Amino acid sequence: MTLTARTDRSLIRPSGHSTRYVLLNLQAPRAAAQAERSPVNLAFVVDRSGSMGRQKMRLAKNAVEAAIARVHDDDRFSIVAYDDQVELVVETTTASREARTNALRRLAEIEARGSTDLAGGWLRGCEQVALHRGDRTVDRCLLLTDGLANVGITDPRALEHHAAELRSRGIATTTFGIGDDFDERLLQSMAVAGGGNLYYIESAVQIADFVTSEVGETLEVVARDVALTAHTPYVTVEPLAPYPHARTGDATLVQLGDLVSEQELSVVLKLTFPRGETGASHEVSFRLVDRDSALGAPSQTITWRYADNAANDRQPRDTAVDRAVAELYAARARHEALGLNRAGAFAEARRALEGVRQRIDGYAGDDPLLLELVAQLQEDATAYEAAMAPSMMKLRFAASSNVMRDRSGDGRAKRRSNT
Amino acid sequence: MPSPSYTLAELSDLSGLTPRTVRYYVQNGLLPPPRTLGPRAKYDEAHLGRLRLIRQLQRRHLPLAEIRTRLDSLDEDEIVQLSDGQGRPAPESAVEYIRSVLDPAGAAARPAAAGPPALNKPAQGPQSTRSQWERLALTPDVELHVRRPLTRHQNRQVERLVALARQLLEEDST
Repeated sequence: MTLTARTDRSLIRPSGHSTRYVLLNLQAPRAAAQAERSPVNLAFVVDRSGSMGRQKMRLAKNAVEAAIARVHDDDRFSIVAYDDQVELVVETTTASREARTNALRRLAEIEARGSTDLAGGWLRGCEQVALHRGDRTVDRCLLLTDGLANVGITDPRALEHHAAELRSRGIATTTFGIGDDFDERLLQSMAVAGGGNLYYIESAVQIADFVTSEVGETLEVVARDVALTAHTPYVTVEPLAPYPHARTGDATLVQLGDLVSEQELSVVLKLTFPRGETGASHEVSFRLVDRDSALGAPSQTITWRYADNAANDRQPRDTAVDRAVAELYAARARHEALGLNRAGAFAEARRALEGVRQRIDGYAGDDPLLLELVAQLQEDATAYEAAMAPSMMKLRFAASSNVMRDRSGDGRAKRRSNT
Repeated sequence: MPSPSYTLAELSDLSGLTPRTVRYYVQNGLLPPPRTLGPRAKYDEAHLGRLRLIRQLQRRHLPLAEIRTRLDSLDEDEIVQLSDGQGRPAPESAVEYIRSVLDPAGAAARPAAAGPPALNKPAQGPQSTRSQWERLALTPDVELHVRRPLTRHQNRQVERLVALARQLLEEDST
């Protein structure tokens, strides 16, 4: 486990309101041998509404089959299928050979039918997971849908809230959106609040690949429910990416989800400092915690010092931090622009991207990576000003959401072996 | 894995309790004293787990004497198991939570789900009706507390209230 922390600039202004950024890089340890890994406790919640159709249904079922083939006797799984009815196809069971054979038989019987009680199906899956939470289990509900929640609880805010409440009770939610018609904002908010992952599946043939990738990651979790804490009484701390976070007393807690073997994760925090006396300083310590203290609670401390304006203007900048910050603001702008584009506010979408492009251009200097980012934002401003095909919108939406959380565009964790 | 140790300040931050409160608990036998004493006192995971559990029990409006009695009846492993990290609700409440959402009227009638039973057994006296306070965030700084289970009608009212309140509170933010 390694944790490093660096700041863009370490001098701050006595007049107050100095904004500084901290780039934290962490690398999770390698998982122990497969035989010693934590058991997984998963629910597969599959949309069988009429829109799924025979072809998509078959591919979704194949995906669940392939996923079940990867788990072992000590793992647990359940299968829920939902349309306007919620059916517990396979009640939570350990993954014995017999159970898996039975599951394949039951899966084969599912056909696409009615409308979509997404909330009912998802909550039933979460319940199946919750019934058998163990000391060390990786507890997660995997929700697959191709459509909109149109029956049962449909309010996206309520669903996001429930996802957060369940995460705080140890049940994570990962969402898979298939095709052109699902609500990507709903699935993203459930995955983010739910402490899980978001996948966009453009074509049904990709379902198996994404589902087995996600299940593969659960089999390699080395730390559950990881959070970054920052301790400081006077400084405001917030993440640039949309991680759930809260402040209690002097501590700000940023929820990062589970970490997998050798995962590399960069997190950028924005700090806002109060006014102070020249020569005085703020020391802020950052610590990584997880549910089982598997990471050993590593910490790093950075000190910022008040100095006069001239010294502030002269101080060197840490380019690595500047780049990470710029990338994040660019991803945020793209995400915002997509929302505006979706609502038909094309000029505003362009302006959102233009604004960030100009700001970055202001401090890019001759840094090649920052200049490249500026050029990309220029292209994006044009692209996001026009109506987009649903698949393009969803692809970009999922990509910007995943990139903000330092995963690959298609939702996979970054690992030392594949970077 | 080396086990982490915390200063009083860190323990206070992570558990969400003030240093003064932590010292009070030590004085009153709810928390064992730290490994070393004085300003460089070191606390460990067991202390943190115990404090989180105390906090969870306090959220259920249990008096301190009752909390102390319950803690005395649990061993180290049970305390660690029950004090789910970062001050979260007890594990078995996930099932209760889901059932209260899916079937609010029925949730009160159901028996307890499988899982560590210790928190649901009162130390002595008559069975109190089991209910649980739920915190609904309206904004990061404003919460609504609701005691579950509610009737279906009450649930709908709460959902409407939450939607209205969020709208109102977000209107006023810059």
